[in-house]
Amino acid sequence: MSGSLRSIAYAAVLCIICSLLLTAASSGLQPFQERNVLLDRRRNILAAAGLIQEERRLSAADIEALYTRHIRPLRVDPLGRVLPAAEGAGSALPFYLVVQEENRPEGYIVPIDAKGLWGPINAYLAFGSDGATVKGFTVYRHAETPGLGGEIEKKWFRDNWVGKKIVTRQGKFVSVGVAKGRVDEMVPPDKREHYVDGISGATLTGKYLAAGIRDTLNQYEPVAVKFRKNLAHELEGALAPR
Amino acid sequence: MNGVFAKPWSAVKRSPSFKEIVQALWKANPVSKQILGICSALAVTVQLQTAIVMGAALTLVVAFSNLIVSLLRAGIPRNIRIIVQVAVIATLVIIADEFLKAFMYDVSKQLSVFVGLIITNCIVLGRTEAYAMNNPPLRSFVDGLANGLGYASVLVGVAFLRELLGSGRLFGYAVVPEVLYQAGYVNNGLLVLAPGAFIMIGLFVWLEHSLLEKK
Repeated sequence: MSGSLRSIAYAAVLCIICSLLLTAASSGLQPFQERNVLLDRRRNILAAAGLIQEERRLSAADIEALYTRHIRPLRVDPLGRVLPAAEGAGSALPFYLVVQEENRPEGYIVPIDAKGLWGPINAYLAFGSDGATVKGFTVYRHAETPGLGGEIEKKWFRDNWVGKKIVTRQGKFVSVGVAKGRVDEMVPPDKREHYVDGISGATLTGKYLAAGIRDTLNQYEPVAVKFRKNLAHELEGALAPR
Repeated sequence: MNGVFAKPWSAVKRSPSFKEIVQALWKANPVSKQILGICSALAVTVQLQTAIVMGAALTLVVAFSNLIVSLLRAGIPRNIRIIVQVAVIATLVIIADEFLKAFMYDVSKQLSVFVGLIITNCIVLGRTEAYAMNNPPLRSFVDGLANGLGYASVLVGVAFLRELLGSGRLFGYAVVPEVLYQAGYVNNGLLVLAPGAFIMIGLFVWLEHSLLEKK
């Protein structure tokens, strides 16, 4: 009996020491990690907008400079009206305008929250100034299985999205789906521009990702419509006092 | 003075620590001889950088878990010794992971779950249970270092060949001259994929066995 009591006491003390160490490491390193996460998100936003080449390694300062020059974070209410920075925290939809010189919007980036198979998938989907054509796609956080669902962050899958349309030629919103297999084998020709190649062995990841993208884009339709109707300057007005 | 620090080579060769180091690095290499840690060896060897970081992380974890377990070994109750060892290993791995996230975020993202999976890597628990539980701290630490380096050496070898032949790069920099590509040279795409890692590790295993047999 005393033997097992000793074991329990030993285990308890060990657990306390280990958890103290872990807490110290985690809270001590948190500021560094948060800075990395922020930088990584900005890098992903820039990559989705096609403003940085994947191969080149940029310093933190370069990323900051590109970000402040080309990216304008904005928030709109569900009807597409631009909100001042402090208002409407609950229902506000954050997104990013991509601008060239003189604040002219030439596209926008929507943050995607999707349910993955093992955990949330966070991504950015960039659109051109027509409000319909995908310009880029990047995943900055996921918990999918490497080699299967984890392929969503790979270049071949991301490149797959470029040029796809979220509206039909008649102007109906359809989002972009993930095909079960290759698009040119599985999808009829007239729908191919609304689908990307799927990942074999990761059907569910694709399904959840497509569903998350459809729901998110549905909410952002008011923004997309502004671009489709050439009213992007309405958003641009909000940019001036920066 | 010299006699204390610089033992003659033959004496070094006869010392038990030296034999154990050779054992870990070569004669009983954890990956190519004991076929342990293959999962991560397959996964992180597409690029040299990830392989080196993974090798370093594992080396540090094995060395320090060996050291700590060896220091505690007299006090650890026999019936929960594996739990204690795993707790020590898991703590070290998570600390290593936190450090990677703080200072090498890109690499940490590429390594994804595989850093966490060091906890279940048989090499680590194997060394603490088979060696550190029965040997003094310093020798356990050295044993851990040697085994970690044994693992890392195979990883780095495999990653070197995979990155060079698979994508024509080393550490992300293009090393195969453009002239070769124009002359018709093509990167071997198979080596970037998992089967390429299997084949490479298989070749390493074969190489090591055939070299050892000759002796």
